[in-house]
Amino acid sequence: MKLKLFVHRLSQPSRAVLIFCKLNKIEFEEVQIDLSKGEHLSPEFKEINPMQKVPAMEVDEGFKLFESHAILRFLACASPGVADHWYPADLFKRAEINSVLDWHHANLRHGSAGLVFHSKLAPLFGLPSDVQAAADCEKVLSASLAKIESFWLKEEGQFLLGNSKPSIADLSLVCETMQLEALDEKVRQRLLDPHEKVRKWMDDTRNAMQPYFGEIHGVLFQLKDKLKEMESDE
Amino acid sequence: MKLKLYADRMSQPSRAVLIFCRVNGIDFEEVKVDISKRQQLTPEFAEINPMKKVPAIVDGRFKLFESHAILQYLASAFPGVADHWYPADLFKRAKINSVLDWHHSNLRRGAAPLVLNKALAPALGLPLNPKAAAEAEIILSASLAKIESFWLKGNGRFLLGSLQPSIADLSLVCEIMQLEVLDDEVRARILGPHKKVIKWIDDTRNATQPHFDEMHAILFKAKEKLLKMHSDAGSDQTESSRKPALPSKI
Repeated sequence: MKLKLFVHRLSQPSRAVLIFCKLNKIEFEEVQIDLSKGEHLSPEFKEINPMQKVPAMEVDEGFKLFESHAILRFLACASPGVADHWYPADLFKRAEINSVLDWHHANLRHGSAGLVFHSKLAPLFGLPSDVQAAADCEKVLSASLAKIESFWLKEEGQFLLGNSKPSIADLSLVCETMQLEALDEKVRQRLLDPHEKVRKWMDDTRNAMQPYFGEIHGVLFQLKDKLKEMESDE
Repeated sequence: MKLKLYADRMSQPSRAVLIFCRVNGIDFEEVKVDISKRQQLTPEFAEINPMKKVPAIVDGRFKLFESHAILQYLASAFPGVADHWYPADLFKRAKINSVLDWHHSNLRRGAAPLVLNKALAPALGLPLNPKAAAEAEIILSASLAKIESFWLKGNGRFLLGSLQPSIADLSLVCEIMQLEVLDDEVRARILGPHKKVIKWIDDTRNATQPHFDEMHAILFKAKEKLLKMHSDAGSDQTESSRKPALPSKI
């Protein structure tokens, strides 16, 4: 199975797919699609993904797939040697992981990605910051973090749903929360400080996925530094 | 112990799960959670689903919410469900998963707020919000265009060029059906340009009768009620809204 991944490391779902492949020793060719240069809008990339988003994948120059959760599920099932805890065969456990992955779209993803985009990234793309949209997204984000703290993380187990080993849900959601690094430190702390279990879970997931987690997130920390520079120049 | 399905037939994802169970002969008890009476906010229901949303299922001791997760679980866990609903073939399954994922931030994100902010909000004690409705309509139109140009490509009558419906067809068509509560003129404007979408809605409906119509009956009652409210309020009805360009599925 010859795998090509079309990704940008500043994209949270791209990072989840990259880390998953590296951890599970799935061989792939990384094709960088630079969002800040509009490369996702090229006609060539539209052939790969007509929705013009990353990540996307292609297998054996024939089968194309987009949407990170669909990609993670496919790779977990189709690649030999992937340990069961990533996407269990047990239908009950699998269903619960599916429900987190579904919940994520309109909750954590909508809140976190929206807040970071409207308050920080929009200027990098030549768009104005939308203060109202950022405020709306922050509400959704806070509510989502509270739900992870009170419901998705249980007393037993370090990972979502009380699991003792990480699943693709942990990977997807933690990569999303990492994007908050692009926010001002005091904003990030205000959002995360109330949630002790969430902070521990983020740490546990990071640790379980080293060294790849740190490596893949390198560009995010570079962005963080760049944003700080831009702001102090102003 | 029988499967319990907590649903409100006014909820698009609830209908998708109800129709799926009926079509596949899955034995279940339907427990109505009336959103217009805020029954999803009771402490009893929070025990079933702490997110306080429908649909949710209880299968023995196992509880589950999120309609796509429920459909995927039922398709896999119940014997006798035909393969086309959620194929075992990993390639086909992956493509269906990608539609289901895409749906959240696209069709759902456009259709649901449009209908809520333009028509249904008062029934839930909320104000109408024309600005939110207008923003949602943009997302909805773009999503319908994507279904027309991409998801319905291929030889078959269903999404992804399939010859038979999958859980993706059921989920997305139930979402679009909510547009029935809008004025016919508005609905015709939004759906009219998309001939393949219109045909696909019909094909999905036909493939799941009589359960499709049964589960959507409440939606048409709501439509009649809203029409009556408008004419009682003496609002200005234009001629074109009385002569639908797109026949309603009553």
